[in-house]
Amino acid sequence: MSKRNGTVAVVTAALLLTTGCSSPGGSASGDAGAPLVIGASVSLTGDFSDSGKAVQRGYQLWADTVNAAGGILGRAVQLKIVDDASSPTQVVTNYQNLINKDRVDLTFGPFSTLLTIPASQVAKRYGYAFLAPAGGGPKMFEQNLDNYFFVQPAPTVQSGDVFVNYVLSLPADRRPKTAAYAELDDPFAAPLAENVRQKLEAAGVRTVYKQVYPSETMDLSPMMGAIAALRPDAIIAGTQNEDAYSQVKSLVQLKFSPSVLFQSNGANSPMEFPDKVGAGNTEGILSPADWFPGSKAPGSADFTAAYIKKYGGTAQSIDDSSAEAYAVGQVISAVAARTNKIDNKTIISSLHAGSWPTLLGTLSWSANGAPSGEFNLVQWQKGKLLPVFPASVAQASPEAPKPAWGG
Amino acid sequence: MVQGVILGVLTAGVYALMASGQTLIFGIMRVVNMAQGAMVILGAYLSYQLFTSFGVDPFLAIPATTAVMFTVGVAVQLIFLRPLHQDDRTQLSVLVTFAVALLLEGVMSVLWSTSDRSINTGYVNASWTVLGYQISLVRLWAFLLSLVALGLLHVLLRRTRFGRAVRASVQNPESARLLGVDADRIAAIGFGLGAATAAAAGSVYGLLYPFNSGSHYDLISQLLSIVVLGGLGSIGGAVVGSLVISVSTAVVASAFSPIWAPMTFFVVLLSVLLIRPRGLFGTAARGAL
Repeated sequence: MSKRNGTVAVVTAALLLTTGCSSPGGSASGDAGAPLVIGASVSLTGDFSDSGKAVQRGYQLWADTVNAAGGILGRAVQLKIVDDASSPTQVVTNYQNLINKDRVDLTFGPFSTLLTIPASQVAKRYGYAFLAPAGGGPKMFEQNLDNYFFVQPAPTVQSGDVFVNYVLSLPADRRPKTAAYAELDDPFAAPLAENVRQKLEAAGVRTVYKQVYPSETMDLSPMMGAIAALRPDAIIAGTQNEDAYSQVKSLVQLKFSPSVLFQSNGANSPMEFPDKVGAGNTEGILSPADWFPGSKAPGSADFTAAYIKKYGGTAQSIDDSSAEAYAVGQVISAVAARTNKIDNKTIISSLHAGSWPTLLGTLSWSANGAPSGEFNLVQWQKGKLLPVFPASVAQASPEAPKPAWGG
Repeated sequence: MVQGVILGVLTAGVYALMASGQTLIFGIMRVVNMAQGAMVILGAYLSYQLFTSFGVDPFLAIPATTAVMFTVGVAVQLIFLRPLHQDDRTQLSVLVTFAVALLLEGVMSVLWSTSDRSINTGYVNASWTVLGYQISLVRLWAFLLSLVALGLLHVLLRRTRFGRAVRASVQNPESARLLGVDADRIAAIGFGLGAATAAAAGSVYGLLYPFNSGSHYDLISQLLSIVVLGGLGSIGGAVVGSLVISVSTAVVASAFSPIWAPMTFFVVLLSVLLIRPRGLFGTAARGAL
């Protein structure tokens, strides 16, 4: 190395030391009395804005609740929420600013795997714990980040496991004999349905149809027509939202009601689903859920009451993204209560062990941030979305077979 | 397979309605309207709003939504397209109308958020059983509505003074102008009519499919394919193009795989274009509509 280059390197290193790299997350516990500043980038505009705003409501509600009770270890929680416009590049800029410029004490995650992956890498670089209410796609966990914790009961593609367990819990003569699989081609839906298919096939449920459909497929009637012609006992659908609604509408028009209909997403939305498919057509449809109205999990009743008081509506109108965001805060509160410290190192080391009660149930994580629990199975019964499996959370017995369409 | 064909034919009516506006706008003005899909979605939102706020049936709302969208169409033409120079209008129109589509998308997401919407009337999922096959009532009515709307469009273009002026402008704009046809006025009304057909199609689209402000991207690629297949500027071509796209995708999706359905259509499209580059009913020179 020449002398000139050497000088440049030394000056650069000095600059780096005095700027961005000087303060990895970890100083939070020493500032007793100062507000605990938590930064989060949330999609307030763009494609994910509806869910992003729901996440913001959850974070805010948790901060309000904690502050009303005296803050965390005597420190008032102060949220700094910035908009990333649903952009994976903006989210990186936002977290860099939050950490380096605003010097927040802790960071909370954004909405969707698409944004959580790049954001978690920024947090990792600066030693920040990264708890996210959304970001359960397989690629997220392939990063093997030790600072990442997905605050839901299980990775998204495993959220169908509870349905498999329900089917296997049935006596052999009441289990579906044949199943058709309709799988949306996206990183969550198709792998989720495939996971269910492999387990059910191993248990002897015969696959009579399996097709993946592209996300731009506007009309699912032809595919549902092909499934209806085979008259399977069960239809197992890896869905998001729009396609879940279309599937049900097509099946109603085709006048085919299977004994079992499981949709991985869309059907678990208490307000949207009946509005889109018609209230009479929801009865008996199964779906996975982490939080549901009326949940008895720790903090759920308080969360529901506080939510309705602050934002209005009913328990049914609460987006589960708000509950998941609130759970992120609950985990932080629990770490502070158990360790009497609130800094990133303590959060990361604490969460890799033990179990943590939240309104989504009790959570625990493996080394790569994948939660090791299970979702709940919810079913539409008389216009309400009720947990029916496992028995520990069930508020009603599963209704089987699914009744005919109601119009 | 038979069920697939039934679905395909009925759905083709809706596509034809959407694409007829697209091809009309191209025929009159040589404008490739990238905003046609966004206009269909705006029509669907208007219909949704009338249904949810006032209980107006989406089919009965069509006169109102078409009137609103006609005005929107005329405004878009006056503000964004008229300033374009005649010589590069076709090329520039792609960019300008795409910008209009983005503008409409932004306005729609502000007004109605980005959540999915759908219009759920009491009859939306009703179907008739004929020889063991299901015929969706909404699709059947949509098909009949399309026939009526396309028939009206045909009469307007073939039997009225306005229609003669439009056709004259298409065949020879200079001569038409010399004979007293106000080409600017014809262009504005033509674009308005294209937007009005989008509104009619939008009402039906909202009944058939859940939609959000971004739904127009998938729509516009299909509409462009239909009008290219049918021949740019030919309404009859748009109808045939709609039948081909709709039936081929429905049959392939039901008999083989939904993954191959869009692909099949593009194979048909490319094959037709290789043999007949101007599409099935397109003409090499100006003069058809």
